[in-house]
Amino acid sequence: MTSPKGRDRSAPRGALRRRAIPYFLLGPGLIWLLLFFVVPLYFMGRLSLESGSLETGGFEFTWEWSNYGHALGDYQDRFVRSFFFAGSATVIALLIAYPLAYAIAFRGGRWKNALLFAVVAPFFTTYLIRTLAWQTILSDDSPVVSTMQTLGLLGDGGRLLATDGAVIAGLTYNFLPFMVLPIYASLERIDVRLIEAARDLYSSARTAFWRVTLPLSAPGVVAGTLLTFIPASGDYINAEFLGGTNQAMIGNVIQSLYLNLRDFPSAAALSFTLMAVILIAVFIYIRFAGSEALMGEEAEKAK
Amino acid sequence: MRTDEGRIGPARRIALALIALGVALGMVACGGDSGIEGSEAESDVETAEAQGEASGDLFVSNWPFYIDRKTVPAFEKKTGISVKYVEDVNDNTAFFGKVQPLLERGEAGGRDIMVVTDWMAKKMYDLGYLQNFDKEAVGPALDNLIPALQSPSFDPERNYSLPWQSGMTGLVVNTAMAPDVTSINDLFDPKYKGKVEMLTEMRDTVPLVMKASGVNPEDATEEDWMAAIDKIEQAAASGQIRRFTGNDYTRDLANGDAVAVIGWSGDAVQLQADNPDIEFVMPDEGCMLWSDNMVIPVGAPNPAAAYEWMNYAYEPANQAQITNYNYYVSPVSGVKEILEKQGSDAAKSDLVFPPEEYTADCSTVDTPPGGPEAEQRVERAFQSVITG
Repeated sequence: MTSPKGRDRSAPRGALRRRAIPYFLLGPGLIWLLLFFVVPLYFMGRLSLESGSLETGGFEFTWEWSNYGHALGDYQDRFVRSFFFAGSATVIALLIAYPLAYAIAFRGGRWKNALLFAVVAPFFTTYLIRTLAWQTILSDDSPVVSTMQTLGLLGDGGRLLATDGAVIAGLTYNFLPFMVLPIYASLERIDVRLIEAARDLYSSARTAFWRVTLPLSAPGVVAGTLLTFIPASGDYINAEFLGGTNQAMIGNVIQSLYLNLRDFPSAAALSFTLMAVILIAVFIYIRFAGSEALMGEEAEKAK
Repeated sequence: MRTDEGRIGPARRIALALIALGVALGMVACGGDSGIEGSEAESDVETAEAQGEASGDLFVSNWPFYIDRKTVPAFEKKTGISVKYVEDVNDNTAFFGKVQPLLERGEAGGRDIMVVTDWMAKKMYDLGYLQNFDKEAVGPALDNLIPALQSPSFDPERNYSLPWQSGMTGLVVNTAMAPDVTSINDLFDPKYKGKVEMLTEMRDTVPLVMKASGVNPEDATEEDWMAAIDKIEQAAASGQIRRFTGNDYTRDLANGDAVAVIGWSGDAVQLQADNPDIEFVMPDEGCMLWSDNMVIPVGAPNPAAAYEWMNYAYEPANQAQITNYNYYVSPVSGVKEILEKQGSDAAKSDLVFPPEEYTADCSTVDTPPGGPEAEQRVERAFQSVITG
């Protein structure tokens, strides 16, 4: 960043106006965030410290920190499970998405747009319907299951639906485009001459990939993993329809607390805890991945 | 005017794209219903008086698959009342979660009649969310109510609830796959591991498990409820129970994902149409009996029309029409004779007209004992199991 001080003295009014412009531009976004993020967050925070119940005269604000203790204590296993499911889905999605994005970006040719469209196409059907379709595809009497049983990939009494695998597969499928698109965007921007230069300098194709392509696409990978992991951790649709008795995720617990038990404080406390854990995990991840990976070349140039 | 289409500026292109998106979304928005209108809160109204002739609009909230296509138009034609009949009750607790904030403010979102199960009707009444009936206005309907349902424990004089339909909760079984399931205990048989399901409605599932262990749910203690929940929890953790469902167990039975479940009598009949092997099996230890009741919420805009609707549905000829569609137990006397005359299969069904000995061992769905806090403890334990 360059300091605007020099211009200040020469044209104070113009500079004032110019300095105000960014705030005007930020305005709509800030107002939106304030109304639909900060205000609800405040109310949720307040709610998470209330006690009482609907049947016994409603809720009262009492600084009830024990809601958080209960949230962590009672549902620890489901927290662990949520992050395990979301983490597995993220890793699998990355393994599928990277080669796919690479192929589209470098080998797509004139099919690029059609291929990108194919990645986004499932989004034209609602999330719920897509997940319900998987329920049918994976059901016990489906051709998929009987084929796998014939091939010996699945035991005779084995099943796909209502298992950990089904939930992870569902999450992977539903969030795959969020992984593909950012990776594609960062691969697409890579100057091919850099890779050619690496080859000219006698690097093997593999070394060129590891030393040039992969680091340059890191921002896409970081963005993609975050866009997959964060919503997947709080998801409940996949566990609801593809899971069974031992696959409930933290989202299912929050839903049941909120709608079925109407224990709004515990649901709010659990939501906050989930947010905090994700925030910490993401923070560590970004520190680990390096901020230049997230900010891309801009951060590198600034050095 | 000559335009160079290849050279639309980026700003204008984005603007055009946004306009196109806006138009598309606008079309979707206009296609939808204009929404629910709130009504004025009436303060401390005890009884919903029927004032003057019934006319105007009527808003009924009911469960899906509970009414045939002809009843509403016929009612509109006869009375001149225009009916908004919405099937937005899928689950007692979820529906309550949805309307509770409105009811708390003394509104009902424009609803004149809601249909909820016995225990939920009582819960709403205790919270002050319902109005008492104007007994004179609803008199004709009450006269036709079958004796068995005239004085339930939660509302002995039928002051605020009137059954829409009743039914049984028991076993719904694919008899080709699981021929020997006759008791709730058979659901815990390792032979059917991963192929049995139970309902997310606690007051259906838990009392049935209690009955199978020899406990009468009508005088069960909190410990009995907790013991039954423990038993269910172990079966869930071991994978014996595949999952807990609402009405969607019908899908799992049809798909072959489940072979024996805890389910509702009318559903079994509807499933039979596709797969004759699927049957409602009365458990050896008996079933749970329940009614879904019409209630008038606080802030109902048009009680007079609500009473007109109740009286209409309780005329045996009109009721026969409804029962012949949904196959649940009819709360109106004289329906069987009419269905027999029409030669309907429903007249012969034990599920629609259960003989006394058929339901001899059945219990009435009730709520855990010990007041709201104990109830909350049991609910919490059960919810924790179904989101295990």
